[in-house]
Amino acid sequence: MTERWVIVARIGLRNVRRQLRRSLLTASAMVLGIALLMFVRALEGGAHLMYVDTATRMGTGHIAMEHPDYRGSQDLMDRIAAPDLERILAAADRSVAAGELVAVFPQVNVGGLAQSASSSIPVRISGVDPGLERDVSFFADKMVEGRYLEVGDRLEAIVGAEVAQRLRLELGSRLVLMAAGAGGELESQLVFVTGIFRSGVPEVDRGVVQLPLATAREWLEVGEDATSVSVILASDNRTGEIASEIQGHLREGGVEAERLAVRPWWEAMPDLYAGLRADAVQTYVMLVILLAIVALAVVNSILMAVLNRTREFGVLRALGLNRTSVGAMVMVEGLVLTLASGVAGMLLGLAISMGLFRDGVDISFLFGGELAFAGSVVDPVILPAVLVSDVVAILSIVVSIGILATLYPAWHATRIEPAEAMKTDE
Amino acid sequence: MTDATQGTTSAPAVETRELWKTFGEGETAVHAVQNVTVAIQPGEFVALCGPSGSGKTTLVNLIGGLTNPTRGTAKVDGRDVGAMSERERAQLRLERIGFVFQAYNLLPVLTALENAEFPLMLRGVEREERRKEVMELFEHIGLGGLQDRRPGALSGGQQQRVAVARAVLGAPALVLADEPTANLDTAASDALLEVMELLNEERKVTFIFCTHDPRVMRRARRIIRLVDGHVERDEEKASGDLPGWVLEPVGT
Ligand SMILES: Nc1ncnc2c1ncn2[C@@H]1O[C@H](COP(=O)(O)OP(=O)(O)OP(=O)(O)O)[C@@H](O)[C@H]1O
Ligand SMILES: [Mg+2]
Repeated sequence: MTERWVIVARIGLRNVRRQLRRSLLTASAMVLGIALLMFVRALEGGAHLMYVDTATRMGTGHIAMEHPDYRGSQDLMDRIAAPDLERILAAADRSVAAGELVAVFPQVNVGGLAQSASSSIPVRISGVDPGLERDVSFFADKMVEGRYLEVGDRLEAIVGAEVAQRLRLELGSRLVLMAAGAGGELESQLVFVTGIFRSGVPEVDRGVVQLPLATAREWLEVGEDATSVSVILASDNRTGEIASEIQGHLREGGVEAERLAVRPWWEAMPDLYAGLRADAVQTYVMLVILLAIVALAVVNSILMAVLNRTREFGVLRALGLNRTSVGAMVMVEGLVLTLASGVAGMLLGLAISMGLFRDGVDISFLFGGELAFAGSVVDPVILPAVLVSDVVAILSIVVSIGILATLYPAWHATRIEPAEAMKTDE
Repeated sequence: MTDATQGTTSAPAVETRELWKTFGEGETAVHAVQNVTVAIQPGEFVALCGPSGSGKTTLVNLIGGLTNPTRGTAKVDGRDVGAMSERERAQLRLERIGFVFQAYNLLPVLTALENAEFPLMLRGVEREERRKEVMELFEHIGLGGLQDRRPGALSGGQQQRVAVARAVLGAPALVLADEPTANLDTAASDALLEVMELLNEERKVTFIFCTHDPRVMRRARRIIRLVDGHVERDEEKASGDLPGWVLEPVGT
């Protein structure tokens, strides 16, 4: 019985070779289509990684912890108390291996007003710990004037470029920040502009001010508390797992869900996540349509191969091979052709992405400058990244094309009537 | 391994009853086989003759279940071929019947050896055993040394011999051979016929040949002549004889 499948496979394989030119033509369409899909997804995947990297380094982190109500209320009432802060640091320590962890930092974030000598605008004010953030903060890389905050700063602050422009601020300018403190009273704080950043994200550049955490705490009367704690990881691969581990340790330590929400970045920044998802889906839909056309070519070519060999299939049937085996023979032929060319296409795509364009693809000619998107931004030089999830998705597309494109010709082969078939001229 | 002595022994090897095959309909209908009723016993050595277009190929195709009758029945080993499922028919062909097709019909991607051993392989005969059988037979019928060639590299007569080898290897109960000697010289066709006679005598393989070849008809022990799809004559004879009527023009 197994011998039957050996011979069925052998005839199928030899038929691929026998029609080498046809096979290669069909294969080349597959190879190019799949390589294109691979490369486009690698570019998009690379861009997405960069978007995520930027967004996390603007303060949210890969894992963001805050009081569950804070997102809605933006009220200092809903903050993390100092003892819980200690527990969070301990939990993060236990959950993240040293190599995986880049930074853990608390912030005090509050909405308020920035007022200069000339006018005032609403801003989002962040108290940040320069010692913990200066190596990871996105803003530290984006200073256009002056410098980022440093350890030991007290009344220094950095502002977005649009903020500076609207309030006519220069380095050294005085700036008064106003916000509701923990006591519910409006409190104000005088700071001096020590740096101006341009992140590329419009809403950030026109509405963010950062000052030292210690100053913010004192001003807003929150003691050693914070509104959020962010964890930045070396890679995004285990974010979900680590988040639930941290959550587990915190729950064990008595920090209940009502007091603290632990969110991976996709929950903390749902707009960004939805945007990236929509982007990927769109690419897949477009490319799958393209590949469907390729699949039609494959169907056509395999069907022609079957029709050209009607007589042989008739002989096989006449010799006692059943319909199933005849169908299997065509499946072998078609699957070998599609899988081999699909895998070749994937390798080509990989070579293009990680070899040819290893130093990045400059897409500024398309958009001019940086690309802001859902509160994040990337450089116009995209480093292609081949994600495991894409490899899996593309491989399943290849297998599906192989099966779908082979099914009809195989079915057709099983329908061949031996006596009729043997009369036809080849 | 299949052997002619197995199976239902009492039933005729082949039996047709009021068998009809009509191609097309109405004005253009061709009655390729008309009302054919014959019984062929196990171990017979039958020549089916008649002019071109008289229905010989159609009749053996009906017997082998390669095509369905328009009316009537064709039985092999007492089993109605037309009533079987596709799968059963494939099984029957595989286990009981060897075919030699009119146009050899070897598989171009397989070597001569692989072509010849194909049915044995499907029947699950061990590799060593089937190679031995093929090589022995090849030697016997003048194909020694050609076993690794593909059909494209063989002459018409050589391909025909490979096709015959494919049909008779493993001694199936019934061999249906459509013009097996058409392209062969006397020596080659004698070699083939000797092999077939041997199988017929020693292993009681039933043979039905469609043929125009007097050399085949001479060796046959029964001759059935078809004319326009009808059985015109059906006579037994001694091996070696060649009755005058087989060579006469049809209708006299
Ligand atoms: N598929 C078909 N469609 C229509 N007519 C057919 C078909 N197959 C056979 N015929 C007709 O049936 C008749 C018998 O054909 P068949 O092939 O059985 O003859 P044959 O005796 O084998 O002839 P030959 O000696 O030339 O091989 C012929 O008239 C042929 O044209
Ligand atoms: Mg014929």
